[in-house]
Amino acid sequence: MNRSLIGELVLKDWRLYRPMILSCIVAGVGALALSQWGNEPTLVVGAVGFFIAIIMAGTMLPLAGIMTERKNKHLAFLMSLPITFLEYTTAKLISTLLIFLVPWLTLVILAISVIEFRNFVPHGVIPMTLILSGLPFVGMCIMIAAALVGESEGWAIAANVFCQSSYGLTWYFLDRIPVLHNNASKPKPVWDPLTLNILGGELVLILVILALTYFLQSRKRDFVF
Amino acid sequence: MNHPAIDMSGVGKTYRFFSLENIELKLPRGEIMGLIGPNGAGKSTTIRILLGLVHQDHGDVRVLGHPMPAGQVAAKWDIGFASEDMRLYESQTLGWHMQWMQSIYRNWDSGYAQRLLQRFGLRAEQRLKGISHGQRVKSTLLLVLARKPKLLVLDEPTTGLDPVARHEILRELTDVMRDEGRSVLFSSHNTQDVEQISDRITFIDRGRIIDSMDKEMFLDRWRRLRLEAPFGVTLPALPGVIGVRQEGRMAIATTNAFNPGLPHAYEQTGARVQRIENMTLEEIFVANVERSREEVEV
Repeated sequence: MNRSLIGELVLKDWRLYRPMILSCIVAGVGALALSQWGNEPTLVVGAVGFFIAIIMAGTMLPLAGIMTERKNKHLAFLMSLPITFLEYTTAKLISTLLIFLVPWLTLVILAISVIEFRNFVPHGVIPMTLILSGLPFVGMCIMIAAALVGESEGWAIAANVFCQSSYGLTWYFLDRIPVLHNNASKPKPVWDPLTLNILGGELVLILVILALTYFLQSRKRDFVF
Repeated sequence: MNHPAIDMSGVGKTYRFFSLENIELKLPRGEIMGLIGPNGAGKSTTIRILLGLVHQDHGDVRVLGHPMPAGQVAAKWDIGFASEDMRLYESQTLGWHMQWMQSIYRNWDSGYAQRLLQRFGLRAEQRLKGISHGQRVKSTLLLVLARKPKLLVLDEPTTGLDPVARHEILRELTDVMRDEGRSVLFSSHNTQDVEQISDRITFIDRGRIIDSMDKEMFLDRWRRLRLEAPFGVTLPALPGVIGVRQEGRMAIATTNAFNPGLPHAYEQTGARVQRIENMTLEEIFVANVERSREEVEV
């Protein structure tokens, strides 16, 4: 593996998409600030804004970093560099994941800290916050896979639409699970088996999607750009 | 170390609606080869195989001595590739790209890059968004040339350029060729550009190489004979003549193996040789493609 060049490609993406990430962090922090205003409407708007900021980061990165790069014909330039197709895939997986982790971790840690220290909502919402924050992470991995493996704007758009419409639906069904719903209103976070299974399931899903993406890419013989 | 810059032998690649058949291509070091073909002839597929981006179904490909696609990383350190549809990051400046290339390539020549900036009339601090097509091509070439590659692979680099930009780029390429160790594969459907800078010419059509030889040899061997046939006589295609078009008594014989005896041979059939014309590379190309397609159809 050509580590130095993979590193160069990751750094390049970081330099290119830094402003985008920063804007997501600013939007997320703003939403968290709004959620502490003290009344229910601002709490709901703030919470929704917080998740939108994470979803934005998880959507924009695969679209800008992979799809737009293909659409804007940067790939011919990138593939003229001394890298293989698989090294390009590796660089894209690493850069998209690492760059996404910056706003994701920042906002999730901030949200949990705010819940923990500001006491404006029961601490029982922390597990649910983590579960819901994990969904855009899974969604981003699906979009990475579609953009890399599908090699077409159509697949990327389809994956995007699927993920965007799934978030609200999953949120709705998760809230309908009595155990999770009841735990959310408790004063302390409850890490029951169901919560842990869902969180573990998200993690496994992320790993499986990424591994599958890498596997499918490694079987390709031709690089289309 | 004396491997040819490019050595393709028996290379084939089949897609659903197109196939590259039995490609034999050899480019000795220090030479410039023009790869001419109509749109969809297989030029870009050939180039992608050379870069290791498309895996051939069969055949052997070596670039600068490295087997492809296995040795593509080692080969690509010394290959400079630019294509007409290659785009840089428009949100960034040319200077940003130059810095990035400099951090990757050990051979990056900053002084040469600065000279190219001036010669091409480019500004490093200018964002690439909104620049003209000519400036974009020049920017790409700057990034490629300043790496000092041993092999330049240019896929239709002059397509869509205005005459001035084309002239500037071809002049720069001609200068680059003074470095005798550097080899160039220049693909285009513009025969004028190829004729201007190439030592060797290869014609490709419908996935097959239909002719390949030294440029001077091409221009030397191909001739058009304007003939006046005796009344009622259809002139034959004599040995070396690839086609005779006759309307009434006026005929045009095209040869790809001209020799001084050929006009005399036609005179012996009763024809009168009115004129012997040199052919341009474009005419040779078109005649070659037509002959090849006729052969395939037969």
